Amino acid sequence: MKRILSVVVWLAVGLLGAGALGAIAIHRGEPLNAMWFVIAALCCYLVAFRLYSAFVAAKVLALDDTRATPAERHDDGRDFVPTNKWVLFGHHFAAIAGPGPLVGPTLAAQFGYLPGTLWLIAGAAFGGCVQDFVILFCSIRRDGKSLGQMAREEVSERGGFIAQLAVLAIMVILLAVIALVVVNALKSSPWATFTLAMTIPIALLLGVYLRFVRPGRVLEASIMGVALVIFVVVAGQWVADSPYWSNVFTLSGLSLTAAIIIYGFSASALPVWLLLAPRDYLSAFIKAGAIFSLAAGILLVRPQVLMPPLTHFIDGTGPVFAGKIFPFCFITIACGAVSGFHSLISSGTTPKMILREGHARFIGYGAMLLESFVGIMAMVAACAMTPGVYFAINSPTSIVGATATVGAATISSWGYPLQPETMTNLAHAVGEITLWNRAGGAPSLAVGMAQIFSNTIGGPRLLSIWYHFAIMFEALFILTVLDAGTRVGRFMIQELGGRVWAPFGRRGWMPGILLSSAMIVAMWGYFLYQGVVDPLGGINSLWPLFGIGNQLLAAVALVVATTILLKMKKLQWIWVTLVPTVWLVIVTMTASYEKIFDSNPRIGFLSGANAMAAQITAGKIASERLAETHRLIFNLHLNAVVTAVFALMVLVLVVEAIFQWYSILTRRREAVLHESPYIATRWAPNFSGATHDAVVGDAMGDD
Amino acid sequence: MRKTAKQAKRLLRLFWRGLREWCGDAAYESYLRSKTRHVGSCHTLSQAEFYVDQLNRRYSRPSRCC
Repeated sequence: MKRILSVVVWLAVGLLGAGALGAIAIHRGEPLNAMWFVIAALCCYLVAFRLYSAFVAAKVLALDDTRATPAERHDDGRDFVPTNKWVLFGHHFAAIAGPGPLVGPTLAAQFGYLPGTLWLIAGAAFGGCVQDFVILFCSIRRDGKSLGQMAREEVSERGGFIAQLAVLAIMVILLAVIALVVVNALKSSPWATFTLAMTIPIALLLGVYLRFVRPGRVLEASIMGVALVIFVVVAGQWVADSPYWSNVFTLSGLSLTAAIIIYGFSASALPVWLLLAPRDYLSAFIKAGAIFSLAAGILLVRPQVLMPPLTHFIDGTGPVFAGKIFPFCFITIACGAVSGFHSLISSGTTPKMILREGHARFIGYGAMLLESFVGIMAMVAACAMTPGVYFAINSPTSIVGATATVGAATISSWGYPLQPETMTNLAHAVGEITLWNRAGGAPSLAVGMAQIFSNTIGGPRLLSIWYHFAIMFEALFILTVLDAGTRVGRFMIQELGGRVWAPFGRRGWMPGILLSSAMIVAMWGYFLYQGVVDPLGGINSLWPLFGIGNQLLAAVALVVATTILLKMKKLQWIWVTLVPTVWLVIVTMTASYEKIFDSNPRIGFLSGANAMAAQITAGKIASERLAETHRLIFNLHLNAVVTAVFALMVLVLVVEAIFQWYSILTRRREAVLHESPYIATRWAPNFSGATHDAVVGDAMGDD
Repeated sequence: MRKTAKQAKRLLRLFWRGLREWCGDAAYESYLRSKTRHVGSCHTLSQAEFYVDQLNRRYSRPSRCC
């Protein structure tokens, strides 16, 4: 009876999800209510978790709860800490959820709501979640080894080295592009710049409190910090209203670039307890609060989605970024559906804290589903805006024109009516000087979030506060990724440098710290600078580069996972990781090829450089702009080289893996798995008789 | 009624415990518990030492994603 009821319930959930998806896909004409998106996504996630992840857990990976996890075997209370599965889910989600699922879907909304929504759901269920889950499982079985170590052991020495190099290279582009999102959000916005600047002294204050006054009392310090941050968001309005202070905090793109570079260097070189960690605590609380508030806001307001399902920009002529729906929709969405960077977390902290193998399904697969849902909410927030306003905020001046009148006329000519005064009034309502040409996704997402929040609490009066709260939330956790990433990049450089000259590799050696910090900051700082001076707004070239890098890293992770499945003699289930691998390789290789060689100067780096060179030859560039144009040409060539290097690294790894697979399948090589030996858990109640709580202590409170 | 209040109290206590563990507030307690489980291992860090040690470990590997 219970089984029949279960079948009926799951059938109902499936049918509801299919119906909602169908409504989204075939609906035309009148605006669609956002609830359809929420229902479709939630039902699909529930079915995917209940059926597909259970299948992967049982048949493909054969999770074994009687096997002791690294947290049990090496329990040291520091790295290896047995952790309750709900707490670890929170940890894992806080670590994987970054700006990507918010910014990517917002940018991809230029194709309309349909392609992005479908990819967010399907890509996560069959690609991203599987990657996170399988890599987490593989790392648990290998004492929490990293992706690079697993690639070296299971694929080849060269494969491991390439994976490590790919991580560093992709991290540089990631840090540059997220810094660019912050620059575009803060440019000419004294309120937002003041708010974000004030988070630095707040973090320093918390750092000193947590280090010397009440060591480790994170919760009370974070509550104080969040209260102070909310205060400075409100106080930002006074700054914006004061002619003197408004002038002080109105910064150009280049000034903000310099400020962020100095910040990144400081956060990397200063002791971690002083700036980086307290900012991370603040960011984690505000991130969790803002995401849950957005979900609640969407459920309460149930906004209408005004963007059409498909726009004519699927042909590649989009103003936000150039490129056709295939492959650029997938490259742009990136983290909301599949994120290569998650494999670093799944093979980093999480496997060392997991209590039982069985929890890997909930944590690995489940947390990625939640991240995909964040992407769906970002898509709803972006598409709930009038399309004309969306394009005005996200399009660069070189596409829509320099003045409000010309811009509004251009956007109206695309079929999205817009009056110049609409943008003026909106900017005034959110407390900004202008909202034109604020490419990067963050300002348009903040407008969407502010509209949803203000319809829930406060009405139009609070629109400006909500807008700046949303900007602060985005910028705060982007900077958290930036400083944490810069520090990790510094360690990678020190590790590489230490192979050449040993003292450089010592983590506590101050000249090494300063030099390696300067090197990593210089690397991403240069790409940030080129994004800021790019006439197409920077996002057009850097976001696809980031997307390609991220998806290539996912391909690397899935290649490693496929190799391990093959060695586990799971040939009949190998399609679980092989199909997403093949898809990612096709998408990223197509995107890489187009970004390098496409004849459209807005897409292809080389044709863009050639077009500029032709302008110089034809004498169309004024002499005072010659040096700048030569620099732009150099940047385009550099981007082409970087894209080619990314693609080449992955191709080498794929070829290595195929060779390995062929050798195993033809029995020319023995399939040697590098798993840790089986040790029975002392914590499984049915195994040794000892309950988990009795051994680990009541405070753990598993399940 | 009393049963519901008891259950609510239990849930709140669980939430509070989970929140403290999630944000790192209870990390030192967890470390001390681990030390009692492994009697005889190296010297026990003070709360301040543990806090700095923990941060240095956490931020030397990818801990935040895109």
